[in-house]
Amino acid sequence: MDEVDVVVIGAGHAGCEAAYAAARMGCHVGLCTLSNATVAHMPCNPAIGGTAKGHLVREIDALGGLMGTAIDATGLQFKLLNRSRGPAVWSPRAQADKKQYGAWVKRELTRQPGIDWIIGRVGEVLVEHGRVVGVALEEGGKVACKNVIVTTGTFLNGLIHIGPETYSAGRVGEPASHQLAESLKALGFRWGRLKTGTPPRISRRSIDFSRFEEAPGDEQPVPFSFMSDGISRPQILCHLLRTNERVRDLVQLNIEHSPLYNGQIAGIGPRYCPSLEDKIMRFPDREQHQIFLEPEGVDVDETYVNGYSMSLPRDVQEELVHALPGLEDAIMLRPGYAVEYDFIQPTELYPTFEAKRFEGLFLAGQVNGTSGYEEAAAQGLLAGINAALKVRRREPLVLGRDQAYIGVLADDLTSKGCLEPYRMFTSRAEYRLLLRIDNADLRLTEQGRHVGLVCDRRWERFQRRRGRYERNMERVRLTTVTLENGQRVRASQALRRPDIRLQELVDADAIELDFTKTEGRLDLSSIETEFKYAGYLERQKAAVARGRRQEQHQIPKNFCYEGVAGLSREIVERLTETQPRTLGQALRVPGVTPAAVAVIGAYVSRRPLAVLSEKA
Amino acid sequence: MYYPDDTIVAIATALGRSGLGVVRLSGPEVVGAATRVLEGVVELQPRHATLTSVWRDTEKARRLDKVLATYFPGPESYTGEDVLEISGHGNPVLLRQIVEALVAAGARLAEPGEFTLRAFLNGRLDLVQAEAVGDLIQAVTPLQARVAFDQLEGTVTGVIGEIDAALFDLVARLEASVDFPEEGYHFGDAKAVADEIRDLLRRTETLLANAQSGRLIREGCQVVILGKTNVGKSTLFNRLLGAARAIVTDIPGTTRDLLTETIDIEGLSVTLVDTAGIRTTADTVESEGVNRARGALGVAAAIILVLDQSRPLEDEDRELIEETRTRDRVIVINKADLAAQWAASELAESGRRVAVSLLEDTELTELRQALADMLWATEPLRDTPILSNLRHIGLVQRASTALSRAADAAAALTPEELVLADLQEARGALEEVTGKRTSDDVLEKIFTQFCIGK
Repeated sequence: MDEVDVVVIGAGHAGCEAAYAAARMGCHVGLCTLSNATVAHMPCNPAIGGTAKGHLVREIDALGGLMGTAIDATGLQFKLLNRSRGPAVWSPRAQADKKQYGAWVKRELTRQPGIDWIIGRVGEVLVEHGRVVGVALEEGGKVACKNVIVTTGTFLNGLIHIGPETYSAGRVGEPASHQLAESLKALGFRWGRLKTGTPPRISRRSIDFSRFEEAPGDEQPVPFSFMSDGISRPQILCHLLRTNERVRDLVQLNIEHSPLYNGQIAGIGPRYCPSLEDKIMRFPDREQHQIFLEPEGVDVDETYVNGYSMSLPRDVQEELVHALPGLEDAIMLRPGYAVEYDFIQPTELYPTFEAKRFEGLFLAGQVNGTSGYEEAAAQGLLAGINAALKVRRREPLVLGRDQAYIGVLADDLTSKGCLEPYRMFTSRAEYRLLLRIDNADLRLTEQGRHVGLVCDRRWERFQRRRGRYERNMERVRLTTVTLENGQRVRASQALRRPDIRLQELVDADAIELDFTKTEGRLDLSSIETEFKYAGYLERQKAAVARGRRQEQHQIPKNFCYEGVAGLSREIVERLTETQPRTLGQALRVPGVTPAAVAVIGAYVSRRPLAVLSEKA
Repeated sequence: MYYPDDTIVAIATALGRSGLGVVRLSGPEVVGAATRVLEGVVELQPRHATLTSVWRDTEKARRLDKVLATYFPGPESYTGEDVLEISGHGNPVLLRQIVEALVAAGARLAEPGEFTLRAFLNGRLDLVQAEAVGDLIQAVTPLQARVAFDQLEGTVTGVIGEIDAALFDLVARLEASVDFPEEGYHFGDAKAVADEIRDLLRRTETLLANAQSGRLIREGCQVVILGKTNVGKSTLFNRLLGAARAIVTDIPGTTRDLLTETIDIEGLSVTLVDTAGIRTTADTVESEGVNRARGALGVAAAIILVLDQSRPLEDEDRELIEETRTRDRVIVINKADLAAQWAASELAESGRRVAVSLLEDTELTELRQALADMLWATEPLRDTPILSNLRHIGLVQRASTALSRAADAAAALTPEELVLADLQEARGALEEVTGKRTSDDVLEKIFTQFCIGK
């Protein structure tokens, strides 16, 4: 291969979205993977979505990415979480058939013109004069390109732990990348070491399911993608069980054999996804912990023991599996393990995911310190879009914290960096009430169209849906309904009362709205929310407007904080490292005070730079 | 939150004890704000004092005070930005109302030291000068000193910090139930949550109720001595002052202008105003003095009305009694040592009355106590921390409003994420007072307290 526009290193969830987006936007993409058998692989939970993660998938879909349609096509069980709360925190989640999911994504990528597969291991990113010029493969050969997207997940110096056994690997059965890790470090990137873990897998045929509580999905599955008309596949069951005293005793007895507790592991693990060892040792008073048995596919024997991730020795893991009530005779197919890996501090990146040090070098996914397929895919998508925009010499796409969870993700990572694997939560989004799954397309599809990722079919469908939405909003504003006391008021007013629901008004033919069958539920909630919680939404919009003022104040590239009077040593160092683009971002850098931002603001907005350098 | 580019306003002079008081405004919107609050100002002449009035309201119907406005265009100004200085009468209540009018016109209350900060940022001061200007607290009375000390020591921020900590704990639990719906945790039912919020609401309301007294302590207040001629107003003034400040003679109409001095009444800094005796007179100067006395009456926090018991009550006395009926006042019945021409019971009003003989009674303990009782709107807060800064009061007020909405919403079973929107707003306001930022720590708190995640 002579030269391509963009090389993507890795074909996990970040890499697949990146390659797909760049190719859709007309770029010639080289997609580099160690094996095309593990494309869009799910080495951990066989599931997509969850609180806030489901939001990310809806947004990826609204922009024209892959993940939403992929899971709708291959999901085994769908559930809308937080149904008892308001629409802002409804989040879809689905169990995936992991083999079919990977195959589906691979087929889409293979069909997509402009993607060339490179099977091999990249050993070095080649840069000249601060700019990417290509990549070199470990087994020899180079690919010239001006843009590289690194999506190597846990592969950089990956080290797997199963009790005392350790071996070099990015995932089980796949050797780690050492050369590339050292090449990136040699380029000067700040990096750190993290840890994550996965539970043992057991054979479905050896499980007596009659002993467990059933955990079904929703009767009417809500799809992830705005393009899906519904989920037609039959839904399967998961099962719920709980740990007991024997599990606790076994863990406590064997704790010194756990690499997490005997000093063998140095990397920092995610607190929201604790290992069994952590659950028992840190919360000894909790008598039970929930464990879910999740099938990994319709024709797969492997079953995922969710909530049971550990890195104890194999024999202890077998004992622990058999200690669970109902799994006395279960066959453990493979043990759980912990993996330690290097990551690049994402404060090295702009919110476009391009590195500040080298033009044309993008990093996305777990290599940036995140965890989760959805977080990875969201970064990959944005990196792919921005690499393609760069090839086309167009303005980059940066999403704000008030526009999308993807914007929150990009801003959190690049302003704050990572101390532990980063997972998205709804509580990270200060404008959570505005960032709902029902309006993800209204927020983002136009932007997806503008950059060239949204295809004609999606665009036409979206325009019809937006037209219906606007007409329906208008009807709610104009239609008069009769209340129980005989009073006649506008539907928009009536909906402000807690006891009046839009669905009931529609059912009673009090108001006529225009919905298609499949999107009715979300559209209805979208419209109802706008009126029922209007006061909350207005206050949040006012807060957005206040926040925007600070985001408008740009800080020049390579601004010299040394020259600013009155800043503490620590703040100068933090800001020099992070190089925030706006005053708002500077304020979110840990340790930076409002007073410091005011000082910088004064320098940036008032003084001509010539004066600045004289003073400094 | 500091925004470096908006327009800030604050009272620039010491409060409660001056003939003149200056309100200063700085920033890009100075001219716009000035035209909204100043009467008849079309164009501000740089560095020219303009005699004008401040409107009390945006409808420009009522005037607050006659003032001198001086405009200093940037960068030749104290802060280096456009600056407007408005000199009004040195009454804290008036000055605060001028500030409030400017806030309504789009300015923001300045953070402590923010004018100096801007001057520094714009190169108008160097760091040493800026520090020299720094917030020196000049306490006049021991109680003022205590409140100032409390603020330095952080007693107030301590109390707010406690409220914030309890709020934080509640927020973490609610966030956990939103972000981890499948963990099998039960984070508290709606009624318990509503009760918890109401408890926090009560605590902010207590702070706000005490705040009224806090302002009184910090800013002091004005007390006007009123009465017809020759009833002993200036003697009373001198006695309360402990010095022969006012000229005292037997000739009616001796006092013609307003005399002001600051005294300590039970820890309060009181600006005492002696006035010309109220009577109809052909003397132009005295007549102006009488007008000023009535003007001072308008802005006083309290009135001492002096009556002479050795002479019969006249129409002028009765008019003054009527005129001040609705005001906080103490009636001083003077010359109690001479033969009484009328009985105190003839005054139809109940209310505070003190009989004195200014010739004999030098301590005036009873009068001082009566004044103190009246000026303290609430219990003299011995050990309760007091919010006295207008900006802090505004922020706690914002928190209180948000908590009130949240309590109602929780009681009405509104979903947690909406209740949280108001709780987060309350936290934001409280943290602006304490200057702490803990917003990122919610997840930290959740992970420490609960075993969460699969």
